[in-house]
Amino acid sequence: MNAIHRREFLKRVGLSAASLPFIVGLPSLGLAAPARPRQRLVFMFSPNGTIPSNYWPDEEGKDFQFKEILSPLEAFKDHTLVLHGLSNKVRGDGDNHMRGMSCLLTGIELFPGNIQGGSHTPAGWASGISIDQELKNFFQGRTETRTRFGSLEFGIGVTDRADPWTRMSYAGPNKPVAPVSDPYQMYQKLYGQLKDKENLQSILDDVRDDLKKVRKLISAEDRRLLDEHEALVKQMEKEIADSSRQKLRVEPPALEEGVADQNDNLPRLSRMQIDLLVNSFVNDMARVATLQFTKSVGGARMNWLDIKDGHHGLSHEPDKNEDAVAKLTKINKWFCGELAYLVGKLSKTPEPGASGSMLDHTLIVWTNELGKGNSHTLDNIPFVLVGGGLGFQMGRSLKFDKIAHNRLHLALAHAVGHRVETFGKKELCDGGPLKLG
Amino acid sequence: MKLVRTIRCLASLSALCLLLAQPRALGASRPPDGRDLYKQQCAKCHGKNGEGVKKEYKEPLVGDWPLEKLSRYIHKSMPDDKPKTLSPEQSEAVARYIYDAFYSREARLKKNPPRVELVRLTNRQLLNTVADLLKQFTGADAPVGPERGLRASFRSGGRRGGGERNATDRVDRTVDFDFLREDAQPSVGTTNGLNVNWSGSVVAEETGEYEFILKTPNGARLWVNGDEPPLIDAGVASGTVDEHKATLRLLGGRAYPLRLEWFKAPKDTLASVALLWKPPHGTRVIVPARNLSPTRVQPTFVVATPFPADDSSVGYERGVSVSKSWDDAATQAAIEVANFIVARLDEFTGSKKDGPDRAAKVQAFCGKFVEAAFRRPLSDEQKRTYIAAHFKGKAAPKPEDAVKRVVLLALKSPRFLYLGLDNARPDEFEVASRLSFDLWDSLPDRELVKAAAQGALRSREQVVAQAKRMLADPRARAKVRAFFHHWLQVNHAEDLSKDAKLFPGFTPEIISDLRTSLNLFLDDVFWSGSSDYRRLLLEDDLFVNGRLAQFYGISTNTPDDFVKISLDPKQRAGVVTHPYLLAAFSYQKFSSPIHRGVFLTRNIVGRALRPPPEAVAFKNEEFDPKLSMREKIAALTRSEACQNCHAVINPLGFSLEYYDAVGRFRTRENGRPIDATGDYVTDDGNKVQFHGARDIAEFAAASEQAQSAFVEQLFHQVVKQPMFAYGSDTASRLHRSFAASGFNMQQLLVEIAVTSALHDLDKASKPKKT
Repeated sequence: MNAIHRREFLKRVGLSAASLPFIVGLPSLGLAAPARPRQRLVFMFSPNGTIPSNYWPDEEGKDFQFKEILSPLEAFKDHTLVLHGLSNKVRGDGDNHMRGMSCLLTGIELFPGNIQGGSHTPAGWASGISIDQELKNFFQGRTETRTRFGSLEFGIGVTDRADPWTRMSYAGPNKPVAPVSDPYQMYQKLYGQLKDKENLQSILDDVRDDLKKVRKLISAEDRRLLDEHEALVKQMEKEIADSSRQKLRVEPPALEEGVADQNDNLPRLSRMQIDLLVNSFVNDMARVATLQFTKSVGGARMNWLDIKDGHHGLSHEPDKNEDAVAKLTKINKWFCGELAYLVGKLSKTPEPGASGSMLDHTLIVWTNELGKGNSHTLDNIPFVLVGGGLGFQMGRSLKFDKIAHNRLHLALAHAVGHRVETFGKKELCDGGPLKLG
Repeated sequence: MKLVRTIRCLASLSALCLLLAQPRALGASRPPDGRDLYKQQCAKCHGKNGEGVKKEYKEPLVGDWPLEKLSRYIHKSMPDDKPKTLSPEQSEAVARYIYDAFYSREARLKKNPPRVELVRLTNRQLLNTVADLLKQFTGADAPVGPERGLRASFRSGGRRGGGERNATDRVDRTVDFDFLREDAQPSVGTTNGLNVNWSGSVVAEETGEYEFILKTPNGARLWVNGDEPPLIDAGVASGTVDEHKATLRLLGGRAYPLRLEWFKAPKDTLASVALLWKPPHGTRVIVPARNLSPTRVQPTFVVATPFPADDSSVGYERGVSVSKSWDDAATQAAIEVANFIVARLDEFTGSKKDGPDRAAKVQAFCGKFVEAAFRRPLSDEQKRTYIAAHFKGKAAPKPEDAVKRVVLLALKSPRFLYLGLDNARPDEFEVASRLSFDLWDSLPDRELVKAAAQGALRSREQVVAQAKRMLADPRARAKVRAFFHHWLQVNHAEDLSKDAKLFPGFTPEIISDLRTSLNLFLDDVFWSGSSDYRRLLLEDDLFVNGRLAQFYGISTNTPDDFVKISLDPKQRAGVVTHPYLLAAFSYQKFSSPIHRGVFLTRNIVGRALRPPPEAVAFKNEEFDPKLSMREKIAALTRSEACQNCHAVINPLGFSLEYYDAVGRFRTRENGRPIDATGDYVTDDGNKVQFHGARDIAEFAAASEQAQSAFVEQLFHQVVKQPMFAYGSDTASRLHRSFAASGFNMQQLLVEIAVTSALHDLDKASKPKKT
């Protein structure tokens, strides 16, 4: 981290010159009971399309059966809404992986640029804000829904590369938001100041002793300055003591130590990030989160599933390659298992200051950049929604006929009270928000 | 300390309104008793000790008139209503009494001698100290050599740059290329890929926020002063955006590593790149070659926490007070440092993540860190308190936690934050610390610490030798630059913009160029062999680039870079006529003889001025437009109250009337010839005729008063303690050696640092308490 990034960090946590609150004067964590029920959103991403036959329920309506990939959600079937038939209809520059990723949450074209994918025209960043950031801004714009961070972007094995294949969240045109793939870095972001405060508190006594000893070395005239200094140290001790009464609702999770950001650690990294995510929600640090598994074209090798091939490579195999289909089903089911872990954790956590579980106040949207890996289609993009946070009627399997996915984003916005007419590309919003209530 | 302030604000020229009561019959035979006379006749209005009396004459009776002038004035003008009541002998007796008792500077110093105070680090010192403290553990830099520009290497193959070398590695003075041009080296066709890597370092001249701007339609990344992630990541070219900006804080006078990677993908139809910046006080320009070096240096830690401004009420920044906001900032900065170190713990401590001796290595690092921060070795007890205690506990603390606490404690300790804790019993380590803060505003380097440890910082010769060595360091240049900016009040000259109709073309770029021009001039004179103070005033040359040359009507063939041009000595005289200062001391539409005159009086001629008795604003519209500026100012300051000071200020200011509000030479104003003559009255009442700037420059260069004022200003900027605390003869001693050296400023700087470093060193032989 060099100077600029530390400054940027200070700014983000509200310690810039302009807003100045010192470490002991952190803004309140906002744990009072809300005036209206809290609403939270999580966008979870996994790459390379799905195996449609093992994913989409055959039935429509309330009475439906999960196929293999979605089976880990069985216990939460009543909380689940499967949306078949949503298509990413954004065209223009960039290959399908690129548009699949960078238009997924933005619903708008990419700028022309220098990133070359396959034989398509080269492209740059998305030309608009993504729905997660749009809703974050909406929440942050109102006192009653404002939180310390607004949104948190978690990554799991995303890689360091920044390009339209690796970014789905955008703060605005040409403003990709990088997910944090290192749980320790995320921990520092969430709880670093608390730790700093503890460390500071532990040495202030020594500082006062030190001032007393030094006082003996100097002349009487000079002591005034040190006396004033000592008074300031006392004041800081008191402020820290006062501020530490503002306890967190839950303690930071104890992270397993030394888990490096590498392929074989993905299962552990996933759980660490999900634990941090839920923890940050309980402490009401954000109302929006993204959880990005690898990236579009992601090539994770899931050795822990006994799969030695890279995910992306496998996804190109034809449908008749039964081995590949089986492996891809296993891979997608693993992602669904991580989703189920998140859902389970939320369902077991009571909503702070309100009735029900946190799952009742959260909606998770699990999606993908492609409908199907070997065809690279942007039709029938996987969208599975879990949780009661947005008041949708859950426990259903719905089928649409290739309608633009922008309309789902509109439905999310309207469900939190953000009544925008269009989102992303205007022409793709015809028909208005999907009716999911 | 308060005393110094008093001295600086007091008027040399204050009217001595000694109100004498009706004199009694005075015996003719006995010599008059000045003390008695004063008590009987003067104290009623001037106070028992000349402190002034409310509703009568409230100003204290202090000043710097010589005794003889004081006697004359009392005889001639006192009391107001009945001058010449006192005989010349009586007047002289009164004058002698008040002169010795409280009027003269010597009397005041005797009454209330200034002392070397305990001070905390100033903000500038803290930033430098933290930067250098961390640098002690991240490897020494190769000195940045004279070569300018960045090292460039070229590969074919676009983004990844894995292709063949397609041009010879070379040094580019600046980065501003269009590789599609046929005359470009290399010139690439639209269908080829190209990958270029420029690396080296960038030299920041002033402390502040630097905006870096990368202009390219292609992909590029820029790293400045740090590792991943890049300062600017524009690897993805997108839409019509071809400009990327990011800002970071840099400390002046230092070099920072810089690397720029740029690539053209085969399908890119454009291929250009330019590296620009907007430095503090400057405008957006291609980063100039003089700020680039092909030598790579290590990054420097720059504290990001903002600090409240230091007290500079006595004319120099000094850490004589603490406040809550300062304590908060110092704490936040300590946390910043602790987190920075912990994030790179193995790099700092030379340990390995899973090494068996990691804790021991971390603890060893902590010992070195605290010693460096405190600028002296630790006693065994201190080692326990500051280091060992944090590595113990029921459950052995993680090295990361222990080091965090050690760093926080060290940087919050008075032993780090204060200077002068050992003033009562200075030793060699104190000498090292004084030298380094005097010359660098930072902590001692390894060589100084080594000399202190070996007892090789006792004799004057040893200390002089170290000071001379230290002058070669860039930090000494930065300190000298800061002094000059203070002396010439450049820090106050933020807004030089002028009326656009009257001065078309006086753009922010010209203003920025003028600042550079002034800096180059000051460096050129100070760091030359003779380092002659008088050249600052007398040189007839000016540094100009093409833009300045054109604006100021100077013919030069060098279009871009700055060159030194000799001008008509009748028209230009060193800093006295530098257009940056002339423009700074001007109104938006007109010259300002008052601002220029006050600047010359205080800073060049070296006389003190008290603040004006009443605030009078210059309103041009109240004057007959046919009048010259000189005539307007003469009319404005005609009253006797004004003339007490303006009799000195105006002739100096009028002598610069040959220069308009942007510092261009002129011979006419509104069609009428300029009158730049002035009768200047010296302290001892002599008249000197000035005609134009050079006369002032020559007068000041030869004036002991001006030279002494320069010595004192430099002393205060360097040591940040009152000069008179170092002995009543310090002023005259330093002036004598300054004169003997041919007014060599470098030697003066060494003398000042040595004076401060060796102060009270003889006390060290007394038994030492810990």
